[in-house]
Amino acid sequence: MSTELKRVLYNISALADLGQEITSESAFHEKMQAAFYVITGTFLANKGAILFYDKAAKRLETLTKKGFTPADLEQLAPEELMPLGKNKPCLIGDTPFLAVVGAEVLVPLWVRDQFIGALLLSGKLTAGPYTLEDLELLSIIATQIAIALNHHSLFMDLSDKLEENQRLYEEMRRIYHGTIQAFAAAIDAKDAYTQNHSHRVAKYSSAIARELGWNDHDIEGIYVAGYLHDVGKLAISNDLLNKVAPFTPEELAEIRKHSTLSHNIAMKINFPWKNVEDMVWHHHERLDGNGYPDALVRDTLSDGVRIITLADSFDAMTSKRPYREKMDVQTALTELKKCLDSQFDNKIMLVLCKVLDKEIKGELPEPEILPNLDKNSDLSIISSLLEGIIAELSTKQSAA
Amino acid sequence: MKPVQFSVTSKLVGDAAVIYPKGYLNNLSGEGLVNECGIYIGRGITKIVVNFSETDLINSIGISLLLQIMEDLRNIRGTICCTNMSKFLRDTFEMLGLIQHMIVFSVESDAIKYLKAGTT
Repeated sequence: MSTELKRVLYNISALADLGQEITSESAFHEKMQAAFYVITGTFLANKGAILFYDKAAKRLETLTKKGFTPADLEQLAPEELMPLGKNKPCLIGDTPFLAVVGAEVLVPLWVRDQFIGALLLSGKLTAGPYTLEDLELLSIIATQIAIALNHHSLFMDLSDKLEENQRLYEEMRRIYHGTIQAFAAAIDAKDAYTQNHSHRVAKYSSAIARELGWNDHDIEGIYVAGYLHDVGKLAISNDLLNKVAPFTPEELAEIRKHSTLSHNIAMKINFPWKNVEDMVWHHHERLDGNGYPDALVRDTLSDGVRIITLADSFDAMTSKRPYREKMDVQTALTELKKCLDSQFDNKIMLVLCKVLDKEIKGELPEPEILPNLDKNSDLSIISSLLEGIIAELSTKQSAA
Repeated sequence: MKPVQFSVTSKLVGDAAVIYPKGYLNNLSGEGLVNECGIYIGRGITKIVVNFSETDLINSIGISLLLQIMEDLRNIRGTICCTNMSKFLRDTFEMLGLIQHMIVFSVESDAIKYLKAGTT
């Protein structure tokens, strides 16, 4: 085989290497470094550089180089390179300013009407000049490099837009949550005895949902429902909410309107989460159908409703009310257990106990229930009670 | 057949470093060869023998990396010897004109002898 034919085969093989590197799954800078090695290995160049045009800064950024100093490359002005042609190699003889930089050949890189960068080479190990064949090959290589740089540029533009959108979304999300929390604060402010109740119900509900394996989006939804479940109380008079004496039947009926009022308010908001309105509306329903406002029974109550119902009752029991002192955690758990099947769901109760047990044992990195409970509670007694309930409910669940 | 992952080992023989590339010298993992030589050059070694007995193939990326080693040695007036080359490697180096910038031996021991003789 003649040397000339071997050289042609080597060049074809180099183009194949370049294609393989450019389309590889490697990181962009690795791709460019490999492509640069292909170029210097093809021409045995001892100096070279691939430059990327930063449109925003209107300057050339060095992606990879060999032999050139940063000072050499800083002398290249994009506006001087743009008129030199598209992906066509320019020799030093045609463009004297290249001599200043120390480049022997330069290719301005373009994709359609976009100037994308430049490729520079200088010197050959064999000390020969860049031949016409070399320049033709370099033109093909330059086109491929330009396309790869353009893809990177487009990707960076998209990444920037995505980042900006994510930032805006997070900002909106913070505002959204802030508004909801302000609502909750307004509700809780009406009733001196239920301060932070909405916050705690949101925390407890999301902790239970997380333990149940809900996804982050749905957990956020129940967190919001927890915050808003009593928003209807804004329409109930302060005197009634803070009344110490037992309610008359009329007053009780008035108080009970709050869940429907909560629903009426919540339904006007276009939530990105499903079932928030339903969870807010039915947080006083019971499994046995004796709840309100719709006396729904077992199968018609979603897990979300069952979670909010239990979290709401647990917090109500462990908080002081105008008509009674707060219960200790053990008593509250025992009371909740008495109401299983009729009012509360076994499965949700089991999960609440598991979460609380894990929090006491330090197994959860960010406890959400324990920090809100009475600081003087005897955790060993609570833990022992929880273990008993967990064992009993687990057995029941396995049997079912 | 799964290609052999490129790797490099080396040893010092007298005042010469012998480098053993293993596998297809065709991607960025070949930078290990340049780095390995760079370590010896950094320690003041100016004689490097590259034993290609376990590298049959090389592409443009490998050539570029080898070129880098040759330039690094040239800058310190060093010597590069290549040994145990396959026919493909030898033909490629000849066709590109690289062979004039290295000293080629059939086997590693001949290169070591040559470098030792140059020292004394």
